[in-house]
Amino acid sequence: MDKRKVVVADDEVHIVQVVAMKLRNNGFDVVTAEDGAQAYELCLSEKPDILITDYQMPQMTGIELIEKIRQDEQFTSMPIIMLTARGFAIDDQLQGKLNISRCLSKPFSPKELLGHVEDVVSQPVSK
Amino acid sequence: MINKVYMFLAALGCACLCMLVVLPAGGVDVLEIVGWLAATGITGWMGWRLYLEAKMLIVQVESLKHDYKAQREKVIESTMQAKDYKLQVQLLKRQKQNTEAIIYSISDAVIVTDVNDRLLVANEPAGGIFGFDVEKSVLKLLDELVENAEIVRLIKKSRQGKIRDIRHELTLKGEEGPTIYDCIVSCIFDEEDKICGAVSVLHNVTREKEISQMKNEFVSHVSHELKTPLASITAYSEMLADGEAADEKTRKEFYSIIQTQAQRLNRLIEDILNVSRIESGLIKVTKEPLSATLLVRDAVQMIKSYAAEKNIEVKEETAIVFDQVAADKDMISQVIINLLSNAVKYTPDDGTVTVDSEVDEARQVVRIRVADTGVGIPAEDVERVFDKFYRVKANNKCAKGTGLGLNLVKQIVEKIHNGQVFVTSEVGRGSCFGFELPLIAEKALAD
Repeated sequence: MDKRKVVVADDEVHIVQVVAMKLRNNGFDVVTAEDGAQAYELCLSEKPDILITDYQMPQMTGIELIEKIRQDEQFTSMPIIMLTARGFAIDDQLQGKLNISRCLSKPFSPKELLGHVEDVVSQPVSK
Repeated sequence: MINKVYMFLAALGCACLCMLVVLPAGGVDVLEIVGWLAATGITGWMGWRLYLEAKMLIVQVESLKHDYKAQREKVIESTMQAKDYKLQVQLLKRQKQNTEAIIYSISDAVIVTDVNDRLLVANEPAGGIFGFDVEKSVLKLLDELVENAEIVRLIKKSRQGKIRDIRHELTLKGEEGPTIYDCIVSCIFDEEDKICGAVSVLHNVTREKEISQMKNEFVSHVSHELKTPLASITAYSEMLADGEAADEKTRKEFYSIIQTQAQRLNRLIEDILNVSRIESGLIKVTKEPLSATLLVRDAVQMIKSYAAEKNIEVKEETAIVFDQVAADKDMISQVIINLLSNAVKYTPDDGTVTVDSEVDEARQVVRIRVADTGVGIPAEDVERVFDKFYRVKANNKCAKGTGLGLNLVKQIVEKIHNGQVFVTSEVGRGSCFGFELPLIAEKALAD
């Protein structure tokens, strides 16, 4: 069985590294990006099964990235997990509109994140 | 008529008396007696009538006197009532003037309307906000005076619904942007508890809203900045605890990340506290006469090792000047170090950072400049680089930062030392940050 592919985008290099390591150790194929624009290019080239993105990033924010990704037909139902260090939670309406599967607040547990990733990739595709 | 009868009878009496005088000379005795009796009777009757007339006159006079007295009392009473009324009118006028004086002295906009939504009283702020002349608009319908339909709707809603108080946030567009008002409309009730009008008070809360917004943004920024290193610390600790670091080298790397992130967290907390201390005036400031140039030299020595990591040359072009400024040594050192470390941080490898200082005799200031050959700042960001937590998006990739360093520089220079910060920049060519501090007056120095 092919490895599930994940794109991880965060401008905090240590966060990208730790998430990538946790997922790789658990059988995922991981590609990383340091900003939104890079993450978008990776999505187009790598066609991942899931995207994990930070909320606040240079070049293109996490929300802008998701908005752009969702415009592409091939990614309308791709599971997306958002990480955020903001003081306030993301608006439920926005989360629903952009079909964001999960939203995790920083600091997060890599173990917990892995659980969410396994959960959303195993769920049937929702449109 | 009666008077004429009396006069006739009196004449007859007199004629009879004359006869009594004339007749004895050659008349008859019987006639004399009859004449005498007639004269006596007529005269007596006349006397009686005169008495009765006089009595009636007296009664009439008494009645007239009584009427006059009653009328006089009425007039007095009316006069007193008139005086009382005049006093009451004066009192009401004074009360009205006092009420109006109170309304006119309120800085909030006040509009008082009657039961038909006609303007009774409004003060200048109300006229200013809604654009009507407060003196010429009395008794005019509010619909015709005020373009904003919302305030009219609120007043009508309050009056028609007999709602004692309605509170609503009103946003009015103006030339200098929108103004937000906290609007309270209260019904006015008479002694029979019937609505006789409404009073509307509009308090400008734009500044409060801005402060609240800034506070929310501050909390959001602080939360983001604190959570970011904390996220790394939490994640790497968990990885170590779960044995996910396969070898000693990886473990060491994880420990190192945790340590640097903890230091970053500490620096951030210190910066936040310093900004907060300066803003609240709680920071201890020890000013002493010192040479800014010497402080620059110390700072350059401190930054050289960091610059060497990127092979950046730090040039110092300061003349040996001993012009004195009254400054807190630690704080101004921190200002220079912050500017130098920013310059190194945002300058690519092999670049140059130049520091110079000069004395502006005309303006009596010392000017320190830190110029770099770095990435530069886009024009739209230059004005905001000293704002708290502001980070230039385009340069986020170059280096990490909290967005507090330059704000701290500005606070120290301008708030504590009455100086001034400045910046010029060109994308791709570099930036020049600096500050001016006032020189100590020569006389003060001599003293």
